[in-house]
Amino acid sequence: MVAAAIGGVAWAASTEPLVSALPGPSAAEGIYAAAPPRLLQIRTLVSGAGRQSAIGSGFLVSADGLAITNYHVVSQVALDPTTYQLEYIAADGSRGEVKLLAIDLPNDLAVVRLDKRNAPFFAFDESAMARGLSKGERLYSMGNPLDLGFTITEGTYNGLVERSYNERIHFTGALNGGMSGGPAVTAGDRVVGVNVAKRSGGELVSFLVPARFAAALLQRVRDQELVPAQDFRAEIGGQLAAWQSGLYKSFIDQGFRSIAFGPYRAPESKAPWFNCWAQTNASAMPKPRASVNSTSCRSDTGLFVASDLNTGVIQLSHAHVRTVDLNQFQFAAFLTGQSQTRLFGGGPFRKWYTPQRCHEDFVVAGSAQDHPPLRVVWCAQAYREFAGLYDVALTAVTEDHGSEALVSRLSLQAVGYDDAIALGKRFLDAVQSTP
Amino acid sequence: MIFVEILSRHRDVAARFRFADQDVYIGRGYDNDVIVDDPYVGARHVRLFRDDAGRLVVEDMGSANGMFLDRDKSRHRRIIVDGERPIRIGHTHLRIRETSHGVGPERVARSGVRIAPIALAAALCLVIIGIEIVTRWSGETGEPRVSNYLTPLLWLAVIVPAWVAVWALLSRTFSGSAHVQRNLLIALAGILGFALYSELAQFSGFALNWAFVANYHYVALWIILAIVCFLHLREVSRSRLVLKGAVVLILFAFIVTVQTLQQFEAFYNSGRETVSRRLLPPALRLVPVRDEHAFFAEIEGLKAKLDRDRLHARTDEAAP
Repeated sequence: MVAAAIGGVAWAASTEPLVSALPGPSAAEGIYAAAPPRLLQIRTLVSGAGRQSAIGSGFLVSADGLAITNYHVVSQVALDPTTYQLEYIAADGSRGEVKLLAIDLPNDLAVVRLDKRNAPFFAFDESAMARGLSKGERLYSMGNPLDLGFTITEGTYNGLVERSYNERIHFTGALNGGMSGGPAVTAGDRVVGVNVAKRSGGELVSFLVPARFAAALLQRVRDQELVPAQDFRAEIGGQLAAWQSGLYKSFIDQGFRSIAFGPYRAPESKAPWFNCWAQTNASAMPKPRASVNSTSCRSDTGLFVASDLNTGVIQLSHAHVRTVDLNQFQFAAFLTGQSQTRLFGGGPFRKWYTPQRCHEDFVVAGSAQDHPPLRVVWCAQAYREFAGLYDVALTAVTEDHGSEALVSRLSLQAVGYDDAIALGKRFLDAVQSTP
Repeated sequence: MIFVEILSRHRDVAARFRFADQDVYIGRGYDNDVIVDDPYVGARHVRLFRDDAGRLVVEDMGSANGMFLDRDKSRHRRIIVDGERPIRIGHTHLRIRETSHGVGPERVARSGVRIAPIALAAALCLVIIGIEIVTRWSGETGEPRVSNYLTPLLWLAVIVPAWVAVWALLSRTFSGSAHVQRNLLIALAGILGFALYSELAQFSGFALNWAFVANYHYVALWIILAIVCFLHLREVSRSRLVLKGAVVLILFAFIVTVQTLQQFEAFYNSGRETVSRRLLPPALRLVPVRDEHAFFAEIEGLKAKLDRDRLHARTDEAAP
C-alpha cells in the first residue's frame, strides 16, 4: 500500500507538465553520465585472502585523489590495519589502492587517498549548505548497492531528522547496503549529503550525513596535511570520548522534568532527542496479579564504532508497580523480576568490555519527607579499548511500601565515570514520593 | 573347656570349636586341631596351652608371617589370652574363650515398634514440606499451580527413600544392621538444613545486605551434604571415623574448589554474576538506610576495580 502510493507520485511527477520544470528522469541520466570516473566502490579486503569482507561506496572530492566515504565502510581497516586493507573500483573500471587519512566517528565519515591524479571530482553545494534545502527538493543518490553495479536513485529531501542528537538528513529514497559512503547530489550535480543509513523496517526511510561535515573533515586533512596513519584506535577512542562527553554535558544541561507515577515522582529528560513509549500490563491474560505501568525513554544517539560495537545510547525508564491481590512477600518476588539490573552492552562482552562490577545498598537521597528509602543497584563495566569510558546501569526500587513501588532505571552507554556519578545522584534525587 | 572361634571380617563367629583343657594346635595342615584355610597361615602356626600360672597362652610355632593382636602392627611370640581382643594369624582372626567367660545381660526385646524416631521423622517431613510450601507460595506471582506445590512431596516420597535405601544397604553390608531409622533421620535433618539455610541466606541477603551469603550459597550446601555423608558413614560402621572424616572433607573441599573455579571462570567468560538477589517486603530490612554520599563514595571506589580489570584484560590481550 505504501509502496504503491510512492509509485503513483513518481508517475505523476514525470508526466505532469507543471512539474516538468523540476528535473525529470533526464536529470538523473545527465547526472549519472558524468559520474563514473568520480564514483567509487570501496572494498575492504582480508589481507591474506585478497577477497573482500565488506563493500561500500565513495566519491572523489579533489583532483589529487582525495575521496570521501563512511567511517563504517573503512572501520575494519581503521581498527585492524594488519588484517585488512582497502581498494577501490571506479565506475569506469579502474582500480587501485586506498589509504585511510582521517575519520570523523560521530558523523560516520572518512577521508581516503587514491592513487588517481587529475581525475574529475564532485564539488560540494556551498550555497545549499549555507541556506539549507527546502523539503521536497529532489536529490539523487549514487553508489553500488549490494555489489550489483553502480546505480543512481532518485529521492526527496525531507529536512533534518527530528529527535536525533546527531545531525542527519532525512532522505526519502531507496538506499541499500553497499551504497554507504556514496554522494547524494542536487539536480545541479553538487553534493549535499553522504549516504549513511536506512531505517530497517521502514520504507524508503534513509539518512544522509550533511555535506558540511564532509567538507570540514576534508578541510582538516588539507590544513593539517595529514598522511596515511597506521593505527586509528587512539583516534577513535579520543573522538568517542570527546563526543560522549559533549553528549552527557548536553544531557545534564537540558535537565529533567518530574513526572508523576502514582504517589511517586520520577525524572524524565527534557532533551528533545529522546523517544518515549508507555507500556502497561492491564490487558494481559491471565489477569496480572500486580499492575505495571511503565514508560521508557531511549535516546537517538547511537554511534557506529565497529561492525560489532554500537554504543552511546541513554535509556531512562520507570515502572509503577502495584499489587492487585499479591501479598507482601509475593509482591516482593514480583518486584524482584521487574528490577533485575541489566547492563546493555553495545557489543560482545569478551571483545569490548571488562566484567561488570556491581554494588547494592539501601539508600536515601535527600530529606526523608519526600525521598523514600531506595534499594539501589549500580553496575558498571569498562571499555577495554577506550580508556575513561564505561557502561553504567542504575536501578532503584522504592522501599517505603509493601504493596506498591516505583522501579526506576538509568542506563548510560560510553559515559565518563564522573559524569555517570553526577547523573546517578541527580537521578536518585529526583525519585520522590508525594506526601 | 576352651572355645576357639574363627571370626569373619566383621567379627562375627564363622566357626567355633570346643576342646577339653589340652594343648590345641592351629594351622593350615591337616594334623592340627583347628584347620584354617588361609594361604597366609603356616602349616602349624600356633599352639594354645595353659602355662604354669594357669593362664591360657598362644605361642607362635615359628611361622613366616607371625602372630598379632587384632590390628596391632607389632609381632608377638606369645600372647596371654584375654578373651576379648582377637588374635590375628595371616588374614584370619581367632578368639579364644573359656567356659568362665562372662557375657552381658540379656537384652530385653521391645514389644511393638519404637514410636519416638518415627514421630521425629514424620515431624521433620512436615516441617520440610511446610517450609517448601510457604517458600513456593510466597514466590507465587502468577496463577497458582498445584503441581508446583507437589514437587517437594515427590522429592520426599522418591528421592529420600532411594537415598536412605542406598545407605541402609551399605550399613547392612558392612555392619550387619541397616539402621533405616537413623539413616532416614540423618537424610531428613540434612534436607531441613538445606531448606533453613536457603531461607536464611535469602533473608540476610536482603535484610542485612550481605552479598556473600547468596554468592557462596553453594559452599554452605556442600558443607551440609558433607556432614550428612559423614553421619551416614558413621552409621555404616563406627570404626576409623577420623579417616572417614578426612576422606569426606577432602572430597568436598575438592568439589567446592572446582565449583568456585568454575564460577570464577564463568564470570570472566560472560562478564556477569550469575546470582540474582531477591527482594523481600521493605518491613524486613534490618540495616539502616545509607545516606547518598556514603553510597556514592562506594561507587567511586568501584572505578579503581574496573580500571584494574581493564589493565588486566589488556595485558592478557597483549600476552599471546
